[in-house]
Amino acid sequence: MRSDLADLKISDRELERLTGCDVGDIFIGGVFGGTYRISALQNPKKLVAFCLTEAVVFLLIIVFTLPLSLFLTSGANGVTDASSILRFLFVAVGIAIALLLAWNLYMKWQGKHLRSLMRLLDEVDRYEEMLSAIAVLDRLETVNIERNLNSALQNRAEILEAIHLTRDNLIAGLTTEKILRENRGLLARQQDLLTSIETNLSLVRSLEVKHQADEYGQFLNEALQIGISVHQEVQRLN
Amino acid sequence: MNYFSTVVSLLRDRQVFLEEIHEGVKLKSKISALMISSFCFFAICGAIIGMFHSPLQALASAIKLPALYLITLLVCLPTLYIFNALFGSKKTIAQHFTYLLTAVCVIAVLLCAFAPVTLFFLITVNDYSFFLLMNVIIFSLTGILGISFLYQMMKPIADGDGAKVRTSILRFWLCLYGFVGTQLGWTLRPFFGSPGDFELFRPREGSFFSGVWTALINLLT
Repeated sequence: MRSDLADLKISDRELERLTGCDVGDIFIGGVFGGTYRISALQNPKKLVAFCLTEAVVFLLIIVFTLPLSLFLTSGANGVTDASSILRFLFVAVGIAIALLLAWNLYMKWQGKHLRSLMRLLDEVDRYEEMLSAIAVLDRLETVNIERNLNSALQNRAEILEAIHLTRDNLIAGLTTEKILRENRGLLARQQDLLTSIETNLSLVRSLEVKHQADEYGQFLNEALQIGISVHQEVQRLN
Repeated sequence: MNYFSTVVSLLRDRQVFLEEIHEGVKLKSKISALMISSFCFFAICGAIIGMFHSPLQALASAIKLPALYLITLLVCLPTLYIFNALFGSKKTIAQHFTYLLTAVCVIAVLLCAFAPVTLFFLITVNDYSFFLLMNVIIFSLTGILGISFLYQMMKPIADGDGAKVRTSILRFWLCLYGFVGTQLGWTLRPFFGSPGDFELFRPREGSFFSGVWTALINLLT
């Protein structure tokens, strides 16, 4: 990836600073005490990873409640015969299932407060995918230049400008969401950010109209879609 | 799952990893990844040492070995955090927890590194005392390495009275960690499963230290 494109990436550290949350592919705020991203459950690969995490968490609950289960079943007599082993397993698995259910309910409850953030994070993912696609195109362009074939690099600067504006929109959206989540009622700041998003959006739209026929037109369109989604999400926060 | 990539980054770029903990970057993800990875590594090692007795003992040890390390850590964490905070440490409890989990994860990885050796002797040797002694040596070695890693990692860098006290607290805490760990190990035994019938947990008889004392007396009389 070229350095000008790499500079446009939103790093994990920046994302954490912007959202105030530890954001991962599947969880927001880590496995313990956080919540799962709804979009992760729609992706088969991530869904498998989520199910495996649930299984490991179930075993971890058994691990951490082992002394409690031991205390509840055996006292000081040990767990040596078949009946006491079965009783112990019943108690340990029962406690683990109850806590696993409680953990899932907590994640669901926590997720309700983070719906807007989740949607914005999905847009960030789309934005990152777009950057990767442009990086691939850049590599293809390099090959074309080596073979003296036509290239469309003259549009690259405008594309980068559109991406830059999209990035600003995303950052503005994430900041607004964080401010409203943490301090409900700071509407003046929100209005400023909304105005900034609208200005950027109209700029991206004008760029898109200019280059509808280009192969980069689809990227401008993608940038515009991300911008519109962010704008809608911020309006929904009102 | 990218939980194991966190462990890889710990092994490859230890300094960067520790700086990130110091700056509080992605702590929750690190805690989740370190805990899940440690559990998996300990479970593998537990299953191998339990296999010497029976598959049932392997299953039991796969749960008991992670419990030994992780519960000990959780029991001792508040002591370290509160004492450090009292003597001027600015680190949060999440940072303390991440440091401790990092050390435990290093122990787990080291144990896993010995797993092929343990497995080899499990297959080729049928002597309980030898297998027990060999594993005691491996556990002691990995424990010492893990604890020295934790000591180097958490030792206050700045000079001053507060830093000296915190270094002493850390030394005291390491002893406490060993003390709690041995007692929990005594409560959760057997891990290896001595020859005979399968036992999930043996009856609780005194403490680890009274057990050692009784064994010494029996040996001398």
